[in-house]
Amino acid sequence: MTTEELQNLHVTKSVDARGTACPGPLLEAKKAIGTIQAGDIMEVLSADEGTKVDIPKWCTKQGHEYLGTLEESGYYRIFLRKK
Amino acid sequence: MENKKMCLALFSGSLDKLTAAGVILSGAAADDMEVDVFVLLQGARAFKREVADDPEKLSMAENAHLKKEFMESLRVLKVKTWVEFFKEAKALTKVKVHICGLAGKIWGGEKIEDFVDLADDICGIGAYITSAQEADVHLFI
Repeated sequence: MTTEELQNLHVTKSVDARGTACPGPLLEAKKAIGTIQAGDIMEVLSADEGTKVDIPKWCTKQGHEYLGTLEESGYYRIFLRKK
Repeated sequence: MENKKMCLALFSGSLDKLTAAGVILSGAAADDMEVDVFVLLQGARAFKREVADDPEKLSMAENAHLKKEFMESLRVLKVKTWVEFFKEAKALTKVKVHICGLAGKIWGGEKIEDFVDLADDICGIGAYITSAQEADVHLFI
């Protein structure tokens, strides 16, 4: 997706994991994914460099669709669609 | 799809390696893996009720002289304690913690009640070998 498309996504669930280091953001994503419906879009906010690698790989393994990452000031917004 | 299996042999009872084991368990939990943790010799001491939650009673595997700095960094980074990592992983996926019977005895733990609630049972080495043979991922820490 383009930056503009990512910015305009309708996000059902925003997970703010900027206060935690690895493995916090991945576990926060894991817990939050159970609270949304298939097809819903979730974003994970993380200041941890490893998360932007971990979440796409996790999506591949779990079957969720990784949509892209936006780099903000000091953190990342990582988007995915639940399978 | 059947869940992948991890077999984690936890020989170490040191703060740094227990923390590493906790982080690895978290990753396994995120992937819905089924994990068998086998607590071997030194590890069993850390699981004793009177030891687990007290960092003062646990040493470091490496850089022992930097224990204070290590603990302070964990606190600043809001990293969970190793016990909290284990608890969270157990809540999220199937994690069974088996205490090696011999190891337990070495540290004065005869019964499962002598160990923290994280521990599920006391086992023999055969259970570990079987688990290691069947696992997709086998780690020794």
